[in-house]
Amino acid sequence: MNIAVLLKQVPDTTAKIIIAGEGVDENSVSKWSMSPYDEYALESGLRMKENNGGVLIAITCGPDRSKKMLTDAAAVGADTLVYISDEGVMDSTHVQQLLAAAIRKYEADVVLCGKQAADTNAGSTGPGVAEILEATCVTLVSEVSYTDGNYITMRPSNAGSEKVSTQGTSVFAFDKGSTELRRPNVRGIMMAKKKIIESITPSDLGVHLGDSNVHLDSQTPPPEKAAGQKFEGSEHVSTVVSKLRNEANVI
Amino acid sequence: MAYEALDFYDVDSLLSEEERMVRDMVRDWVDEEVIPNIENACRDGVFPDEWRVSLGEMGVLGAPLKGYGCPGLSYAAYGVICRELERGDSGLRSFASVQGSLAMYPIWDFGSKEQKNHYLPKMASGEWIGCFGLTEPDYGSNPGDMITKAEDKGDHYLINGAKMWITNGTIAEVAVVWAKLDGVIRGFIVEKNDPGFSAPEMKGKHSLKASVTSELVFQDCKIPKNRILPGVKGLRGPFSCLNNARFGISWGALGSAQACFDSAKEYAMSRIQFNHPIASYQLVQNKLAWMLREITKGQLLAYHLAQKKDAGTWIPEHISLAKMNNVDIALEIARVARDIHGANGILDEYPIMRHMANLESVKTYEGTHDIHNLIIGRHITGIQAFTRDA
Ligand SMILES: Cc1cc2nc3c(=O)[nH]c(=O)nc-3n(C[C@H](O)[C@H](O)[C@H](O)COP(=O)(O)OP(=O)(O)OC[C@H]3O[C@@H](n4cnc5c(N)ncnc54)[C@H](O)[C@@H]3O)c2cc1C
Repeated sequence: MNIAVLLKQVPDTTAKIIIAGEGVDENSVSKWSMSPYDEYALESGLRMKENNGGVLIAITCGPDRSKKMLTDAAAVGADTLVYISDEGVMDSTHVQQLLAAAIRKYEADVVLCGKQAADTNAGSTGPGVAEILEATCVTLVSEVSYTDGNYITMRPSNAGSEKVSTQGTSVFAFDKGSTELRRPNVRGIMMAKKKIIESITPSDLGVHLGDSNVHLDSQTPPPEKAAGQKFEGSEHVSTVVSKLRNEANVI
Repeated sequence: MAYEALDFYDVDSLLSEEERMVRDMVRDWVDEEVIPNIENACRDGVFPDEWRVSLGEMGVLGAPLKGYGCPGLSYAAYGVICRELERGDSGLRSFASVQGSLAMYPIWDFGSKEQKNHYLPKMASGEWIGCFGLTEPDYGSNPGDMITKAEDKGDHYLINGAKMWITNGTIAEVAVVWAKLDGVIRGFIVEKNDPGFSAPEMKGKHSLKASVTSELVFQDCKIPKNRILPGVKGLRGPFSCLNNARFGISWGALGSAQACFDSAKEYAMSRIQFNHPIASYQLVQNKLAWMLREITKGQLLAYHLAQKKDAGTWIPEHISLAKMNNVDIALEIARVARDIHGANGILDEYPIMRHMANLESVKTYEGTHDIHNLIIGRHITGIQAFTRDA
């Protein structure tokens, strides 16, 4: 079984970022990490490989720095590392075209990815790639297993949670589940260092990226956090309760 | 707030990618598993057994040793591991130092093939904990005059004596014990259940509370003949172990120092007195600038020493200098950080006081600060000043 896992490198969710001009100042990012939902996709892919045999192909598309994340994936067990170089500013459709072409090239049977990337939060990669591949897509997946030609997934439903089974090429977009993520170890890191990253370009994949139909018109930074308010003494209890209820919406 | 390791001169960029991956692995583990639990471990005075398991799973025990299931990393990687562990707690780093440098290393370097095959894989995986028995109640800085002795009884050795201040003693399966056989210091492997051997825990420490410290008591302790380390005689045995452990400490202490700096900086930026953050006052900035200066120098010292260690161009005096300097500045940084935190500095909500108390032990063990001064003094002058009767 060829298991493709789509990964994206994003600023670590705990790292400080600085907004400058069109977006985050990349030079100010102190730590880049694998997007958290992708970590669940990778972990589930590794488990699927352990249970059913096969090859895990980690695929990313992005700037050169993303290669480091592929090595991190190899340290926990990814077998094949595929890096697709990006071409300047690309929109989500461009990225999906490239990822889908790589998935075809490596003949993946099943595709796992995060439900959204922690930087853009666009959430279109899984469904978009499935559309291009004409594959089945299940979103917000927390668990997946494979038996006798069926992929069984768990996802939330209006009744709690539901179990969905699919056949044939399927794309699963992962949410955070209760699955425990594995840590790398020294042995894995030493093997990862020896692994070759297969670098491919859009033209290697035979994809010609046309002009984007999407234009960013303007962007506003999040509002500054309002200063905290301080209340002392029991006479303020009702004010505080009403503020917590009506303004902070926490009770 | 995420930990932002102070690295003013970008010294970590000199590490290999593999070394940086090892760093990140240990750093993430410390953030997730150690820092949230360390205060409880200290309060209860225990070394959490999960940490033993995780260290084994990560594969960092005995980091620079090769073969027999050991990781085979560089000394630079070993240094980085110590630094990241000690950023969590010196007791945790002590566990790893003792296991790797003091218990596994002598078996790896001086043990027989059978001993290596028998002990090392299980120690590298963390299944068996090791300890190192050199210090005695009456012989600390001066271990050469130890009184613990071993006698050859034909088909076995008989050990008598007592060791004190032994890290991991009570929880160890394997003790590497230094004792005199016909007046010559030799290394022996004593196992937990050997007859005549006990390892009661020493209680009441105000420092390294999350590390187990024990006495080792040998009363006609009988061990088989194949438990002597065949490869070394005299003080060179224990001292070569200490060289490796001291090297690790020179990196480890920087982890404590960086944690204290990180906390002091955050605190100074947010604590308002006289209408302004205390970080805006020159006296406080002077303290922070001094911390950064000493940490940066310490990092360069540790990095260069690692290069020498990996290249095999080091001498023990190089290690003495780095151990002495980096522990000294770390302890002083912890004290200054405590000062910057004001009263809050004494609370266990901040890591400061814990690091400070820990570093008092680190200053003493593995050769006290002044013993390292004497080692360097002897190197400069050619005159030993350890004793008057030489
Ligand atoms: C928490 C902890 C864990 C430890 N773990 C281990 C372990 O796992 N295994 C082990 O074998 N030991 C261990 N030790 C023991 C440690 O190595 C000794 O404490 C250390 O060597 C110092 O010995 P001492 O405490 O007897 O002090 P002493 O040697 O009595 O020194 C007391 C003071 O006198 C000074 N001094 C001594 N000689 C001279 C001199 N010639 N000139 C000038 N000043 C001198 C010292 O610098 C020091 O300031 C541990 C100690 C601690 C605190």
